[in-house]
Amino acid sequence: MSSLVLKDIHKAYGDTLVLDRVSLEVSAREFIAFLGPSGSGKSTLLRIIAGLETPDGGEVWLDGRRIDALPPGDRGVAMVFQHYALYPHMTVRENMAFGLRNAGVPRHEIDARIAQAAQVLEIEAQLEKKPGQMSGGQRQRVAIGRAIVKQPKLFLLDEPLSNLDAALRTRTRVELAQLRQRVDAALIMVTHDQAEAMTLADRMVVLNERRIQQMGTPMDIYARPANAFVARFVGSPAMTLVPATVAAGDGRFVRVRLGSGAEVMTHVPRAGLADGAPVSLGLRPEHVALAPADAATLQGDVILVERLGDRTFVYACLADGMEIIAQDVGSSAVRFGDRVGLRIDGNAAHLFEADGTGRHAEAAP
Amino acid sequence: MSGASPRAGLSGPVLALLLVGAAVMLTPMLWTLLLSVKSNAALLGDSGAALSPPYTLENYRAILADRLTSRWLLNSLIVSLGTTAGVLVLSSLAGFAFARLDFPFRRSLFLFVLLGLAIPEQAVILPRHQLFAELGLHNSYPGLILPGLTGSFGVFFMTQYFRAIPRELDEAALLDGASRLRLFWSVLLPLTVPAQATLGVFTFLASWNDYWWPLISATTSDHYTLTVGLASAQMNYAQTSGLGFLMAQAVFASVPILIVYIIFQKQIVRAMAGTAVR
Amino acid sequence: MKLPARIEGLAFVAPFLLLYGVVLIWPLLMGIGISFHRADLFGAREWIGLGNYATALADPVVHQAIGNTLLLALLIVPPLTALALLLALALNRATRGAAVFRGIFFSSSVLSVTIVTLIWRFILTPDAGLLAVAADALGRTPLPFLSDQALVIPAIAMTTIWWSLGFPVMLFLAGLQQVPADVYEAAALDRAGRWTTFRHITLPAIRRTLLLVVMLQTAGQLQLFGQAQLLTGGGPGGGSRTIVLAIFEVAFGRWELGYATALAEILFAMILVVTLLQYWLVTRREDAG
Repeated sequence: MSSLVLKDIHKAYGDTLVLDRVSLEVSAREFIAFLGPSGSGKSTLLRIIAGLETPDGGEVWLDGRRIDALPPGDRGVAMVFQHYALYPHMTVRENMAFGLRNAGVPRHEIDARIAQAAQVLEIEAQLEKKPGQMSGGQRQRVAIGRAIVKQPKLFLLDEPLSNLDAALRTRTRVELAQLRQRVDAALIMVTHDQAEAMTLADRMVVLNERRIQQMGTPMDIYARPANAFVARFVGSPAMTLVPATVAAGDGRFVRVRLGSGAEVMTHVPRAGLADGAPVSLGLRPEHVALAPADAATLQGDVILVERLGDRTFVYACLADGMEIIAQDVGSSAVRFGDRVGLRIDGNAAHLFEADGTGRHAEAAP
Repeated sequence: MSGASPRAGLSGPVLALLLVGAAVMLTPMLWTLLLSVKSNAALLGDSGAALSPPYTLENYRAILADRLTSRWLLNSLIVSLGTTAGVLVLSSLAGFAFARLDFPFRRSLFLFVLLGLAIPEQAVILPRHQLFAELGLHNSYPGLILPGLTGSFGVFFMTQYFRAIPRELDEAALLDGASRLRLFWSVLLPLTVPAQATLGVFTFLASWNDYWWPLISATTSDHYTLTVGLASAQMNYAQTSGLGFLMAQAVFASVPILIVYIIFQKQIVRAMAGTAVR
Repeated sequence: MKLPARIEGLAFVAPFLLLYGVVLIWPLLMGIGISFHRADLFGAREWIGLGNYATALADPVVHQAIGNTLLLALLIVPPLTALALLLALALNRATRGAAVFRGIFFSSSVLSVTIVTLIWRFILTPDAGLLAVAADALGRTPLPFLSDQALVIPAIAMTTIWWSLGFPVMLFLAGLQQVPADVYEAAALDRAGRWTTFRHITLPAIRRTLLLVVMLQTAGQLQLFGQAQLLTGGGPGGGSRTIVLAIFEVAFGRWELGYATALAEILFAMILVVTLLQYWLVTRREDAG
């Protein structure tokens, strides 16, 4: 059963359109990530669900109840804010109790819920402290605790990891993963970090330019990006897009010709693509390997070597100025300025039409 | 204070000049203090006598026994505390609304309030005297308190302070189901305590020291504030009990504000650093 | 929930706006109206148009008062500003000693005008003042500060500077705090001397504060009243009568409310013109640069 339903959500600030007829369904207990660059409308969408912004059109339903006209406190949602938004003058206990008191929850019930949440989040010792006396990680937990005690039907998390340092971020990711196991509610997280979204979410909603670009499981989106934007935005380092044209032929799959004249055979079905049509060849680094310069059809000069230890990304510049990223072993001996050969795994390559629409290999080779 | 210039200590010549300056600041006060602890008789011929003993507290005893002086003290306390409380309440309510709520003519009304910063008291005081006469407000506490509540500065100050509080807090409170009144009272107002203290101290000092308005509004000696009462004593110097008594009155009248100043000194400095200069 | 929220906002500002309108704005407008009348304190009114303003322009007492007021502002504002800036520069450091000095230089500001004049009367007066006692001890004749035409204005200026020093010092200190320390470090690395640093780093950085101090002080000193009234009563021979003191005398000595109000409007205009001129002079150069 669907928990949250958004129908045709529309929003503009003055003349600036920020959300253009966005529709979405979230299942019960599902963890959704809204992923997109800043200005994509993802935060606005979250705030419309919370009731902090009023949409110009459209409907918001939660558990079969239409909520878009309700005040934020009556919607059955809880939110963890980017900067936590803990009340600085209240103790941790008071912070968690504030919303429950406003809702008229009986005192003993408030105490019980706080005690349980504090135990789960391991902040029992901090209950009488004020936020100013706590570390960033502890504040983050209190913010989560304040959401948990409300027992909402939907959790909203606004960039929950963006304020934490690298070590804490990893730990909090684990905690968020555990949180979704513990609570009987759906979760929506807003983030601009694709790695976060891929790690935590059951499904990702990629937003850009006021619209949902693609919805799907992380691996589905990674493997079959709907368009060039999604392809570039999801995955790190980003997918390389090389301009190419469809080469003449009559096989089942498309063969493309690159600017340098080299041709690449893909596993993308030919249907509907005219000969000579301009396309972009999409290559993830793991689908481009290094080869001796004279043994490959494509050569480039190395302009950057990014060593991650277990593997190495090699950025190469082709004769026509295009840049391609290849993946090599961790012990790669390639150095800046080397001329290298590039071997493209055409079976895994993607094609993007002139309007950005993605076409993908028929099946894994 | 952070951000002081790199050289920490005061160099010799600068220190010497500062000491001279401090002496110029303090000597008049010390002189007043000395005069206040001399008997009126001893000062009659030669005020230089104040520089040597014997000293006495008889002037202070006389003040405490003086019905009028204690009455003035009470008036000053009521007027200053009333003004301060009123300014804090009105400025907080208006500042919260201007900073956080949306209502018709919000921007124009705020500009209208800011206009008040440019209006000198002189342009208002005579017609107001006329208006209060018609309303029968002279020689009353409301008559002394109401003009002090119209200052735009407090509203401006509190609006700026409310604006500086992150909006996320409002949103968290909204999600916590708080009404606007609850948001104001339980969430935001407690965060403005430092601003309340600062605004309160300045309002109290200004009200305590106000001279022009109480001088023309309170015309019977029972309704004088300390400031006005002392002025009347000063101008009728010939009829007072003498120099020592007058000076003791001055010291006596300064004690409350000096106490307020010493308690809130840090607040005053911090507030100026934070708000007066943008 | 939209409509109530919009009304709610008005309810929060209404109490202040009501008082502001009735006790400040309404009298302001009333005053402009009264200034066109021959009016006394007891309600008699007769429309005379610009009659009061014409009288003021020809009134030697008013000329003298305007002259005295401008002279006082000139004798007070520049030295007060310079002194305050110097003190702030010296005291802009985090030491205990600097904090004590800051406290001392601000202490006089919390006193009321009544106390200040009381203190200074018994410094300046030639029969029992501290300066007279000192002069006696040195075998000199005490100067009659409060009864000599030539000395009375400087004496009031001195008293006022002593009283008003604290606030500008605090404002300058606040302004100096906003100058980032690394700018000074960069200047030191560039081998800038003390004067160069002040002239090219500090002064431009606190330009706005300087403007604020000068504007506030000018507006304040043009309204100088209590010191003149209490120290000298405007004497001798009107030699220390300021505009506000003249307004006070006309209104509460001669009961001529209409004329007094017209004088107040003239002062209001003077203050607006002078402060706006200062603002324009400073910001104009900013725009050009």
